[in-house]
Amino acid sequence: MSDPSQPTLLLDRVTKSFDEFVAVDDLSIAVRPGRIFGLIGPNGAGKTTTIRMIVGITAPDSGRVEIFGRPIGPEMQNRIGYLPEERGLYKKMKVGEQLRFFGELKGMAGSEADRAADRWLERMKLSEWRKKKTDELSKGMQQKVQFIATIMHDPDLLILDELFSGLDPVNAGLMEEIVLELKAAGRTIIFSTHMMEAAEKLCDDICLLNRSHKVLEGSLRGVREGFGRNAVALRMEGGDGVLDDAALVASVKPYGDYSEVLLAEGADSQELLRRLVERGARVSRFERVEPSLRDIFITKVGEHNA
Amino acid sequence: MSKLLSIIKREYVQGVRSKTFVVSTILGPAMLFVFAVVPSLLFGMKAGGATRVAILDETGRLYESVRESVTRKDEGESTPGAGRGPESAARRAGRDMEASYVVEQVALPPGGSLEEARRDLNGRIKSQTLDAYVILPRDIMETGRARFYSRSLGDVISIARLEDRLSRAVKEQRMRDSGIDPGVVQSVNREVEMSRHKPGEEGEEGTESSLFLALTVGMFIFIATMMYGQAILSAVVEEKTTRIAEMLFSSTDAFTLMAGKLVGVSLLGLTQYALWALLFVGVSVFGVGAFSAGGMDFTLPNIPPVLALYALLFFLLGFYIYATMYAVVGAMVSSEKEGAQLAYAVMMLPMAAIYLAFPVIRSPGSDFAFWVSMIPFFSPITMIVRIVAETPPFWQIALSLAVGLATVVVLVWVAARIYRTGMLMYGKRATIPEIIRWARRA
Repeated sequence: MSDPSQPTLLLDRVTKSFDEFVAVDDLSIAVRPGRIFGLIGPNGAGKTTTIRMIVGITAPDSGRVEIFGRPIGPEMQNRIGYLPEERGLYKKMKVGEQLRFFGELKGMAGSEADRAADRWLERMKLSEWRKKKTDELSKGMQQKVQFIATIMHDPDLLILDELFSGLDPVNAGLMEEIVLELKAAGRTIIFSTHMMEAAEKLCDDICLLNRSHKVLEGSLRGVREGFGRNAVALRMEGGDGVLDDAALVASVKPYGDYSEVLLAEGADSQELLRRLVERGARVSRFERVEPSLRDIFITKVGEHNA
Repeated sequence: MSKLLSIIKREYVQGVRSKTFVVSTILGPAMLFVFAVVPSLLFGMKAGGATRVAILDETGRLYESVRESVTRKDEGESTPGAGRGPESAARRAGRDMEASYVVEQVALPPGGSLEEARRDLNGRIKSQTLDAYVILPRDIMETGRARFYSRSLGDVISIARLEDRLSRAVKEQRMRDSGIDPGVVQSVNREVEMSRHKPGEEGEEGTESSLFLALTVGMFIFIATMMYGQAILSAVVEEKTTRIAEMLFSSTDAFTLMAGKLVGVSLLGLTQYALWALLFVGVSVFGVGAFSAGGMDFTLPNIPPVLALYALLFFLLGFYIYATMYAVVGAMVSSEKEGAQLAYAVMMLPMAAIYLAFPVIRSPGSDFAFWVSMIPFFSPITMIVRIVAETPPFWQIALSLAVGLATVVVLVWVAARIYRTGMLMYGKRATIPEIIRWARRA
């Protein structure tokens, strides 16, 4: 594909404001080729504005946006596939014609677009709908059609805004499968969402935006390790009093089947286990818990807002 | 470029296939027939046979000539002096329309009063054996006043015609009384007809059909704008309401989108016009023959080819100027409903242009006419009027076209800017200063 050392997408100190409201403030991002990059953040953090600058819908007030080492322009747009959060298709158009139109807008020849559309419709189990008008399709089917419109021209950079919203688990699974295939084929994917579970599952790298600013960035593993949170999932009988030791335990969240024990700063989980066993507790589950992206998200956004 | 073509193709193909297009293509000529032909047929139609009129002639010597005048078939008739003078529309219509009368004379009963005769006539009207009666007073020759009585005074055509005939009979009687032969008067009164020429040009200029052409072009622009402006507006709003705009703008720029929509929808309109034109030509070829055979004076306007070319050019220009105004409106609003209100304002432009055309017809060489034919929103109509009335120098025509064309491009550009910015912050309706800011910002 492209030179692996060169980022597929580069945002360099990009700022965009609408009137007095600053939507994106001094944001720098580098997305490496062949990775799934999670652009995460709460609603209104500036994700959509950032994406719009990447795909060339709006121009930044300052800073630079480069794709494959070149500024965004019409021919660059053909190498991008963008699934906006706001979904929409031409209601009165037939599915096949609609896909052909979107393919042509991405620079495909009509026949080439038809072939790609047929292939993908088959994959999505929508072949028999090709000649139907779009508004005869269910909402889930329309989502799939729009997804096809996003990927049919085999873009090098794919931007998916809230890909899974409104999809049932079967279709969500299908989309996920395709996204992973595209990644395996060397495509770069930007995945924007505020649903942390999905991001956690798919992303290699993440960037957390909050209130127009970048709060956190890096590989998912690095971010997790750097978060330095020390928690244990614990299920036991007995062991009274151990968990009350403030030098060892910071807090306990009792869930139905187990409790999540957050260790005090500097405390060692091995020490906790030893103390519990000493007290005669019967431990049926003891497992170090990695911080979830959700926890990181909530903590970081909370800190940033404070 | 190929993206532009794709957008044009999509607009066009989807449009041609739509029910609206098919229905309006068929209904258009049908409506034209209903609105243009049927009313005149209905108006001219007199239900329920001839009007029975009794004439009570107090002068005792007018009846014969009145009866003769009222029941005479029209053929090349002309009341002396009534050729071109200010006539009421109803009177003119009355002369042209078919209306027939059965006339009878009623004498004053010997020794009886006028009142008695009228009572008798009123009774007959009540019992429906008579429709109307006219009293010709003794002094009618001097005063020129008669009285008409009828159960219904609503049949303006029949009444006007009767009035016309009566006055002709009275005039002829007056002439005879003064010893003048009405035949002589008629020949003395024959109108002069000027044939129209431009210096240095052989052959007669069909000024009337040319002015007719100018106004037709104006009306065509107006109608096309009315029909297709709305289509442009909804086409522009479509991507906003269906949220497709964002997807499109990640593939192409707003100017291409706007231009594509405009061209696509206008081709749609032109297709419809072309279909109608074919129909019209077909009907004319057969129809004119039929009309002529039916004794009606009906000729197709004879238009020089250069003029036809200009007419076509200015029609297209006008159509695009107003259509892009609709595109601008569509870009500003977030729903079709909202757009419909603003669209009325746009309709004012071609209407104003048609009004401005009248002073231009009268003095096509004036400074006023020059400037009005250079202002893009009026030029499509005013310039064609000037060309017809007194062809201005070629550079003026070219300049007017160029200014118009530039306006179209600028308007598309403005619409594209407003559209893109407005799309990014939909929800609330933009204020005018906001829109100006949108248009200026990149």
